[in-house]
Amino acid sequence: MGAPVLMAEPAYPPSRSAPLVWALGAAIPWLAVALGQIVWFVLDGRMPWLHAGLAAATMVGALVSVVVAPIWRYRVHRWEISPQAVFTRSGWLVQERRIAPISRVQTVDTYRGPLDRLFGLANVTVTTASSAGAVRIVALDAAVADQVVAQLTDIAALGGHDAT
Amino acid sequence: MTEWQRLSPRMLLVHPVHEVLNQLPLLVGAIVLGSATQNPVWSLVGVGVIVMLGLARWFTTSYRIDDRDIMLRTGLLQRNELSVPRNRIRSVQTEARLLHRLLGLTVLRVSTGQEAKGDNAFELDAVRSDQVAGLRAVLLGEQRDDAPEGAPLASWEPSWLRYSPLSVSGLLMIGAAVGVAYQAGFGDALRDWVLVFGGPWLVVGAVLAGVVLAVARSLLTYGNLALTRRADTLNLVHGLLKIREHTYDLRRLRGGTLREPLLVRALGGARLDAVMTGVAGVGESSLLLPACPAATAQRVLVDLVGESGVVGGALVAHGPVAARRRWVRALVVPVVLAVVLPFAAVPGWVWALWAAFTVACVFLAIDRVRALGHRVDGRWLVTRAGSVERRRDCVQTAGIIGWTVRQTWFQRRAGVATLVAATAAGTKRYVLIDVPAEMAWTVAATASPWVADSVWCA
Repeated sequence: MGAPVLMAEPAYPPSRSAPLVWALGAAIPWLAVALGQIVWFVLDGRMPWLHAGLAAATMVGALVSVVVAPIWRYRVHRWEISPQAVFTRSGWLVQERRIAPISRVQTVDTYRGPLDRLFGLANVTVTTASSAGAVRIVALDAAVADQVVAQLTDIAALGGHDAT
Repeated sequence: MTEWQRLSPRMLLVHPVHEVLNQLPLLVGAIVLGSATQNPVWSLVGVGVIVMLGLARWFTTSYRIDDRDIMLRTGLLQRNELSVPRNRIRSVQTEARLLHRLLGLTVLRVSTGQEAKGDNAFELDAVRSDQVAGLRAVLLGEQRDDAPEGAPLASWEPSWLRYSPLSVSGLLMIGAAVGVAYQAGFGDALRDWVLVFGGPWLVVGAVLAGVVLAVARSLLTYGNLALTRRADTLNLVHGLLKIREHTYDLRRLRGGTLREPLLVRALGGARLDAVMTGVAGVGESSLLLPACPAATAQRVLVDLVGESGVVGGALVAHGPVAARRRWVRALVVPVVLAVVLPFAAVPGWVWALWAAFTVACVFLAIDRVRALGHRVDGRWLVTRAGSVERRRDCVQTAGIIGWTVRQTWFQRRAGVATLVAATAAGTKRYVLIDVPAEMAWTVAATASPWVADSVWCA
C-alpha cells in the first residue's frame, strides 16, 4: 500500500429547510410525551420529585433531539454524484460516509413523508444488489431530488452489470 | 420440457403420510371427538379428509421448464403460480428424507439471488432420484456430456467427530428438553430426581448426554460428506439418513469464510462457509465444511480462491488504538464490578468468581487484539476478527459494490473508523473494525478502482 488515500468530502448540503423539518419531526413525539406527563401530574400529583425528575429528563431529551441533533445533522450531511459514483456523509453522533458505484445501481426510490411534502422536500434512496450498500440522500429540495433521480437513472441505464 | 409436468406419482404415497404428521393436532381433535361422541365416523372422516388433502396436493402441483423461466403451480383453493427466470438460478439443493429414500425420491430446491422464504421457495417435492442429475444440469445450464466427474476437494472422516462435542447444540437440546418437561408439569419429578441422584451427578449426566447427542447429530448430518469440484459447479453431499446435496454455481462464488469458534480452534479445527451470491451467509445454507481440521479447511479454501496468501497469509494489524479499545471493552465489566461489589458486602466466594471472570476477560482481550487484522490487494479483501466466534472473511474485491466508513463519537476522538464493504454475496457486509481513520479510504481505494478513480480521491 502506498501513501494514505485522502477523500474529499461530498460537496452539497441538504435543503435549507431540512433542520426545521427534522426538528418538527422530532418535536411531535416529545410533545406527546410532555402532554402525557402533564395529564398524569394533573390527575395524580403525589411524588412531586418523580414528576420533576421525569420533566427534567423530557426537557433534556427534547432539547437534544429538537435543537442539537437537527443543527448538528445539517452541518454533517453532504451529498454528491459524480458520473461514476454517489457519495454521502450523514449522521451526527455516529457519522457515516458511504460510496456506491452508479454502474451497480439497481433501483432509485424517492420518498416524501407528510412533513416533507409540507416543506417541499424529498428523500432519495439508491439501492444496489447488497442490502448493506443502500445510499440515502435525505431532505433534498423536491426539484433537486427530481434532478438527482433523472441523473442517476440516466447513468445507471448505461451500465448493465449489477455484480450479483 | 416445455409442457407442464407433475411430480412423481409415488408422492401419492408420501403426501398422505406427511399430511397426517403435519395435521396431527387436527387428527387428535377428530379422534377425541370420535371417542367423545361414541361415534367413530368422526375419526374416520378426520383421517379421510387429511388423506384427501395429501392426495390433492399431488393433483394440484405441476411445474414447467421453458427456455426462459421455470414455473411452479401449487394450491388447492388458493392457486399459486411461481415463476423464476432461469438466468437468476444461483444454486440447486436436493434433500432426501427417509421415506423419500425408500421410494427413490428426492426433493429439489432452487435458490435465486433473493432470500426465498415459505411461499416463494421454488421446491419440487419430489421427483424421481434418477431425474435429479438431468434436472440439475438443465437448471444450472451445464453441458451434461462434457462435465467430468471433478476432483474431490474433501471427504468426511470419522475423526471430524472430535470437534462436535464442543458445539453447544447438544447442551441446548438438553436445556430445551428440561424446559419442556417443566412446562408439561414434570417439575416435581425432576426435583425428586435431584433428591435421589444428587444435583452434581445430574449435571454430569446432562453434560454427558449433551455430548452424545451432539456427536450423534453431527454424525447423522455430516456423515459421508463429500465436496467435489466440477467445471463450474461445486457439489456438496452429506448426511446418513437424510441425504442432502447442494450444487453451487462457481461463477457466483465471491470467496469464503473460515470460522474458528474458540473451542473448535483449541483443538486445531475450523469450519468453512462459502461467500456466494444468492446464498445466505449464515447457517446451513452456506456451509461447505463443518468443523474439521484447520489444514483441510484452509486447503479447500486455497483451492477455491486460488491464492494461498489470502487464506493463510499474515494480516496488517489495526494498531494500538484498536488494541486499546478491545482492552477497554473487555475490562469495563470487571472494573465496574470491582467498584460496586464492596458496597454490596458479598461473601468471599463471589470475589473468587470475580477474579476468575477478570482473568477470562484479560485472555479474551489478548485473543481479540491478536485476531484483529486485514489484508487487501486489487483482487482480495481479507478481514479477521473475534475470539469466541473468530472468522476470517476472504471476499473478492470485484464483488464489492459499496463502502461505508462509520465513526461513532468515541471513534472520531480516538482517530479510528469502522470500514464496511458491501457485497451482494454471503452476509452482505464485511466489516473491518477500528481501522486507523487515515487508512480506511486507502483500503477501499486499494480494493476498488472505482473509489481510487473517483473525483473525491486526490
